[in-house]
Order: sequence, then C-alpha cells, then structure tokens
Amino acid sequence: MGTMRIDGHDIPFQENDNILKAALAANIEIPYFCYHAALGSLGACRLCAVEVASVDPTQSPRVVMSCLEFARDGLNVSVSAAAARQVRQRVIEFLMINHPHDCPVCDEGGECHLQEMTVACGPPYRRYRGRKRTFTNQYLGPLVHHEMNRCITCYRCTRFYQDYALGDDLGSMRLRNEVYFGRFQDGPLTSPFAGNLVEICPTGVFTDAVFRQHFARVWDLETAPSICPHCSVGCNTLPGARDGTLRRMRNRFHPELNRWFICDRGRYGHQYSEHIDRPLTPRVRDEKVSYREALAAAAEQIKAARDKTSGLGSTREDLESNAMLQTLLNKLSGRFATFSDPQIETATVAAVAALQSSGGAPSLAEIEQADAALVVGDLTAHAPMMDLALRQAYRAGAKLAILHSGPSLLARFAATTLTVPPQEISAHLLRLHEQATAAPTAPTAPAPSNKHEKELADIAVYLTAAQRPVLIGVSETMAVPEIAAMVQLATALGSRAKLAYALPGANTYGTILLTPTTSTTAMLEAIESGQIQTLIVIGNDPLGDARLGTRWRAARRHLSTLIVLDCVATATAEAADILLPVAAWAERGGTFVNYEGRAQGFAPVFQRTEPLPNTVEVLADLAHCLELALPDAAAVLSNLFPGYQAPLPGTLGSALSAPPLTMQTGTTIGPASSAHPGHWQVALASWYGDDPLASYAPALMELAPAAAALIHPTAAFKEGIEDKKQVRLRGPAGTVVLPVQLNNDVAAGTIALSRVTLTQLGVGHGDLLELEHIS
Amino acid sequence: MNDKLDRQTLQKHLAQLPLTHPERRAAVVPLMQSLQAERGHLDDRGVEEVAQVTGLSTTEVEELATFYSLIYRHPAGRHVLRVCDSLCCSLQGADRLLQAAEQYSGVSLGKISPDGAFSILPSICLGLCDQAPAALLDGEAVGPLNEAALQVLLRRLQEVD
Ligand code: SF4
Ligand code: FES
Ligand code: FES
Repeated sequence: MGTMRIDGHDIPFQENDNILKAALAANIEIPYFCYHAALGSLGACRLCAVEVASVDPTQSPRVVMSCLEFARDGLNVSVSAAAARQVRQRVIEFLMINHPHDCPVCDEGGECHLQEMTVACGPPYRRYRGRKRTFTNQYLGPLVHHEMNRCITCYRCTRFYQDYALGDDLGSMRLRNEVYFGRFQDGPLTSPFAGNLVEICPTGVFTDAVFRQHFARVWDLETAPSICPHCSVGCNTLPGARDGTLRRMRNRFHPELNRWFICDRGRYGHQYSEHIDRPLTPRVRDEKVSYREALAAAAEQIKAARDKTSGLGSTREDLESNAMLQTLLNKLSGRFATFSDPQIETATVAAVAALQSSGGAPSLAEIEQADAALVVGDLTAHAPMMDLALRQAYRAGAKLAILHSGPSLLARFAATTLTVPPQEISAHLLRLHEQATAAPTAPTAPAPSNKHEKELADIAVYLTAAQRPVLIGVSETMAVPEIAAMVQLATALGSRAKLAYALPGANTYGTILLTPTTSTTAMLEAIESGQIQTLIVIGNDPLGDARLGTRWRAARRHLSTLIVLDCVATATAEAADILLPVAAWAERGGTFVNYEGRAQGFAPVFQRTEPLPNTVEVLADLAHCLELALPDAAAVLSNLFPGYQAPLPGTLGSALSAPPLTMQTGTTIGPASSAHPGHWQVALASWYGDDPLASYAPALMELAPAAAALIHPTAAFKEGIEDKKQVRLRGPAGTVVLPVQLNNDVAAGTIALSRVTLTQLGVGHGDLLELEHIS
Repeated sequence: MNDKLDRQTLQKHLAQLPLTHPERRAAVVPLMQSLQAERGHLDDRGVEEVAQVTGLSTTEVEELATFYSLIYRHPAGRHVLRVCDSLCCSLQGADRLLQAAEQYSGVSLGKISPDGAFSILPSICLGLCDQAPAALLDGEAVGPLNEAALQVLLRRLQEVD
C-alpha cells in the first residue's frame, strides 16, 4: 500500500499499519512491550520510540512511539538514532527501578521479553539504590501463578483477559506507581482462556503453575510441532519435555486456526500423560508382563478366535492407528467400528456428510469475521477456541443466537438465547428455517404453540440480513434431525452462510471416514450373540460410555478376550484381559483431521525413559506375530484416500479428500414429542475441561464444577424442589443422589448433569430420567 | 451496619438515579459514593453490593473504586485532609507540609488519628495550582497553606467533635 524508509531501507506497509507493525512484518526489530498483534497498540510502555525526520528540513526530527504512528508514504524513520536509543534506554531504566533482581530464580528466565529488551536497550547497571515497591501476590487458582512485583504495566494481561477474551475477573487496579493487575480477591481465574496470560505477559508476572510444579529451564526443554489432542479444533501446540517427561504446553501460531492462543484444556490437559495411574507396563490378566509376552498372548487369542475377532477404533486415536486397525481387521475378516455409542456415530456421520456437502467449514479466522451466528449447544465445553473466535465476532458487532438446553458460557454474549429441552431443539430449528425462508411480504405461518416465536423471528432477521452468517452445532449433543435441520437452514441462507460442527474428539472427522455405516450397533449385537470372541480396542472406552456403558459391560462378558491399547486408565483399560500401554500424543507422530477436514501432522516430541510403542507399531507387531503381512500406515492411507500425502508437522495442514459420506435417511426431520409425564429430559452439563484425556489432568480437574442436578428455578418451584436439597435420580444403570442447584440456563423440564453422573445413571443427552424427592 | 439496610440504601439510590443513568452500570460511581457516605469508606461488602446492583463483576467495581482517589477502600477519619503533592504544590513546599502534618498530629499519612477524628492523605493535583500549596478539607479548597495555617486547621479538626 505504500513505502517508508527505516534506517535507509525501503519498507512496504499496508493501509492502517503503524510503523511498528510494518517494521516487524519486514523483520526490522523495534523494541516494544505493550503492542501485540492481536491486541493492537496502547502506548503504555513507551519502549517503541523511534525518530521520525520532519518533511520540512528546517524542523528537527522528533521522537515518536512507533506503535501509535501510522506508516505513511515517504516517511523517514530511524530506529538507531541516538535520541530514540536514549529514550528506550531510559524507559528500561525506569522499568527496572522496581523490578526485582530475581532472574536466576524466575520461571520466565530464558523466554523473558523484559530480560531480552533490558540486555538489548537498557543501561548495563542500575543507578537506583532506594527501596523497591512491593506488592502482595494473589492466589489465582491451580493454573496460573502470580508475582506482581515483576510487572511493567504494559496492560497486556487485562487487554487480553477482558477486552479480547471477555473475562471479567481479572483487572487493573489502583493508581500511579501502584497499578496492580489481579482479581478483587484471591480465587481461581474463571476464564477458559486464562492460561494465555502466561504467554501474553512479557515478563514473569503470570507463569504456568503446572509447569512450576515440575519445572525445567526452558532452554533445556525438548520441543517439536504438535497438535492439541483435546478437541476437534486441532489447535497447533508446542509441547515441552525434559528427562523423559512432558512438562508443559504452549501455543504454536497457526494463521487460520488458533493464531496466538489456546484454551486451558489444551494448555493444561497434557497432565494426563504424567498421571500416576497411567498404564506403563503391559499386563495379561493380573500379571505384569513384557511387551513381547503381551503381544504373544494377544496373538494367541486372536488365532484361537480366528474370524471371531473385531476391533474398535477411536475418535481420539490418530488417522494412522484407526486405518491400521481397520486393515488388520480386514485381514482377519473381522468387524471394525469406531464409536461406542451408535447415536453419536450416526450424528457424526450426518455432521461430517453435511460439512462435506456444504463446501467446507469455516476456519477460526473466518468464524471471527462472522457478522451473525447461530450456535446450537454448549460450544465452549466442546470446542473452546471456536467460542473464543465467536467472542471476536461479537466484539466486532456480530449478533449471536444461542439455542441450548443447559449451561453455556457463550449465552452471556448472545443477542438472543433460546433455552429449550433437548427434544425441542429440532422443532425450533425447523421453525427458524420457516421464518428465514418466508418471503418478507408473506405473513409468517403461525407456529403451533411456539412460545419463542418472537425470538425466532429476531434470529431469522439477523441471520438473513447477515453478509457472513455462521451456523455452528455441537454434534455430540445433537441427533440427526437437528443436524439435518441446520443444513436446511444453512442452504436457505445461501452460499454466504458457513456451517460448522464441533465434533467429539481430535480425530473424529478422520475416524468417521473409516467407519462403516451403523457399525457400532452391528458390533454390539455381534458380541451379544457370541459372534465375536476377541475384541481389540484402541484408545476408546466403551465400558465407560455414558449411555451404553451398561450394555457394553454386559456384552464384555460374552468376550473371551478383551485387548486394549491406550495411554490412560479408562474403565475399559482396567477391564482388559490384555493391556498394551501405548505412547501418548507428545511421545509419537501421527495425523489428526480437525473439524474442517484439515489433516494436520504432529511430530514426536520426546521419548520416555522407558519408551512405549505407538498404536501403529503395536498393531504392526501384532500382525507380525499373526504372520500377516500388513502394509505400513502410509501405504494404507494412500490406498484409502486417493492422492493422500501425510501432512508434515509444522505446516498448515491440508484438506483430506475423501469420498462423500451420506447422511443416514430413515430418520424423518420433524419435531419429536417432548411431553413425558413424570420424566425429565437430560442435558449434558459439560465444561471446558471435560474431555476423556484432560479428565486425567489433576490441576485442571480442581476447577471441575461440583456434581449437582442443575434445574431451572421455575421448573424447580413447580415441582416443589428447593435449592441445595438432595434429590434421587433414577436411570437405567442406577440411581444417584445429588444436591439441586438452581440455574437459569437450564431448560424447563430438563435436568443438566455432568458426564460422570450421566455414566452412573446410564443416560445420554436427550434421554429421559426420573426424579424423586427425598424427605 | 447491617446488610439489609445497605441493600435498601443502594436500591433507593438506584431508584433515584436520574435519567442520565439509563444504563445500570453507569450508576457505579454514585453508588460507591452513596455507600461511602453511609460508612465512611467502601468496604469489601460494599464492593460486592455495588457489583450486584450494577451487574458489573466485583473486579470491575474494584478497578473503578481503586482508580478514583476520592473513593476510600480503607477506613478514614471523620474528616479528611488531602494535601496536594503534585508539581506546582511540590515546588511550593508541599512535601515539607506533609511532613509537618505528620509530625504535628503524630498520625502517619493514610492512617486515622486515635480519636478517629481525621486522616491526612497526599493527593494528586487538585486543580488548585493557583493556590499552591493547596489542600482539600472535607471537599473544601484551602490554600495557599503554610505550616502555621496547617496547624490551625489540624487543631480545629481535633476540636470540632
Ligand atoms: S480449543 Fe480444542 S484444540 Fe484448541 S487448545 Fe482448546 S482443546 Fe485444544
Ligand atoms: S509498544 Fe509502543 S508504547 Fe508500548
Ligand atoms: S499541583 Fe497541587 S493543586 Fe495542582
């Protein structure tokens, strides 16, 4: 857009760039603290001083803040001018007056921006000999550690926490040289994105409290480009390991996905791989054995069962492992499935089929650009970074509509919130579709008994008026009719509308492409009828499934051998006859396919002191024991996906081209009846730390909401249920006694419960439940 | 002071807020002032009450409460003398005045005199630079001050009630 000169070099700039931004883009280093590409300029630190020559030669040049001055054609800038250098030196000297001399013991050491800038611009000695200002630190919860004395008041923390991530429990207090960044009182930070403070703070005020428990100097960490395994977004990460253990997780920039940030599930969920219960030694029945012995035992059982062997893959296993298991089962003429719950399987097929036919899901960067959005379900809990992207859209003025049954953090920012029971979601979507397609002049057909007519009309208005509307559904809590209704709505809105689904696992998209239709039900029935004797499970937990755990546990008794490959101690792993521990994500390489269908490679970061094989290696070794010739994963995948090239770790990833799936018909799109006298509908009350791996991360789990039955105050009042009173819930798998918690975000006639409670009761989202009063 | 009464005071103030506060959050400053008038300072409970009524978070209220130097987050004496220590007043001897005030009263800056009668606080510029060194006594401008005038003021404060 133009050219300016910096110290004799011609530098191009874009419209509205400031000098600093343009310089950084051209790899010219102007020192700075408070500027951040995502947060913009503030002018708080005064470090980015440069000298700008005046157009009028009789006027002397002046020193300006490069982050506050627009780049202009012909502007002549000097970073090296003595006057600018002196300002920068003085700024550092001032900042260092109160900054402690604790670099040798500070967690930030080695990646401290203040340390680097002081070395680069500051005076080598401190002249100040007086007392330093000292602050009292706060307890900010198990994830972020606070050391206020190190603060240089760049305001990056509150600008990220409040302005960018829309949190309201961290702020800037007080005045003058006492400015303090913290909370009103001690207590855990509530934002799902709080951990980003660790990276956004240019010095050591906010540091990683989990990393601190098992600290290593950052220059000693082994790192390699990885992909977050905790949800379907596929944020890019940089794990850090030392001495055979994983220590921490950082964001790795991806321009279309997570950019500079990750959520706290992604940052702190990694503790699963160091959990004390993590299986590390192979086991046959109750005996710890060597890897070879376990393999031999597994091979023996498979040989004995012959064609009565089947395999269950997983949405959290990488593409290679699922494909290899499928290939092995082909050779053994056994069945292959990937989901433990058939309902979630069909919903996922529908969601991915919809994504394929809608021309692709929007990236996070595109979601940020939306000017109107409809969210179905609790997005924060299932894809936290999609929520953060929507918060950016909201900040830019987008109207958000939330259609949900239980608590949802995004509802706070919604222009319209519709809180309805799970079984009424599809009726609302259908009505919304009618509203959105009605010609503006035609009177809209009266909706029978829809009390939300006004809200639906509002949503229809802003979705149809939007230039870049986005529809996002949480597929785990949706059934096929709802997914189909969203597709209808997206089609009605035309090609400008983008459709996305948050899927229930890091590799769900990739896994479903390998999954034969209705394979889960078929497999369960085959086990129950004795057609399957040996089951190989990789990274899945059918016995711990919320809705079908009981049925799987009963089915398990028909199996003569359960072989499990996993890196966490799930119910299924505990029940295994043969357990083969495998490498966790940072310990191996592989490929995940995210919600957009983007295949992303991740590299092995480190090896444990006693290295574990990855799933693919175990399957290959098993095939070898069975004397079966199994091609390698690359060959298998290029066979399955024409033109497949493994995406290299550290690149942007590539779209996985696969034959289109078909949404299973037979389920009519129509409103389900939702009057069930004497029964309540169940809604999954999830939270941002809720995923099968992260639930083994102790620090994150300290923040898990206490188990309770969440009920809307009006519904509770009608039933004579009081807040905090115990109630007994009865489901197919058992009864649970829980305190009631009144919550305005729960739909009428609905009880919102945690995943753990659902598993105890044996119900899933949208199922029915009985509630009894306890006198 | 009991909580219920405070809530009532707040609600009353909220009801009386002129139409210039159509947005509840905008009422935060008058609410803090009103609670401070009741109790002499804004305590933690007060911050929570204000948050509840305005819909702001406690942290957001605390940000504002600690930004405005006329809102006291700590107990203060019945009378408050705020002596300016900004540029003009400093040049006119404000620092010496503050020292003298401490010496004469025996009460250090920011503390309350043993009888609860007064507190002396340093202050940023009061906009009274033409009367430097200046001070605010219970909201009334005084200045230019010298040590003798200051002593008279302090003695009066101790005698009033
Ligand atoms: S949004 Fe998902 S992929 Fe991204 S950091 Fe969080 S858990 Fe990981
Ligand atoms: S980066 Fe320009 S003032 Fe801080
Ligand atoms: S400097 Fe004291 S009133 Fe302005």
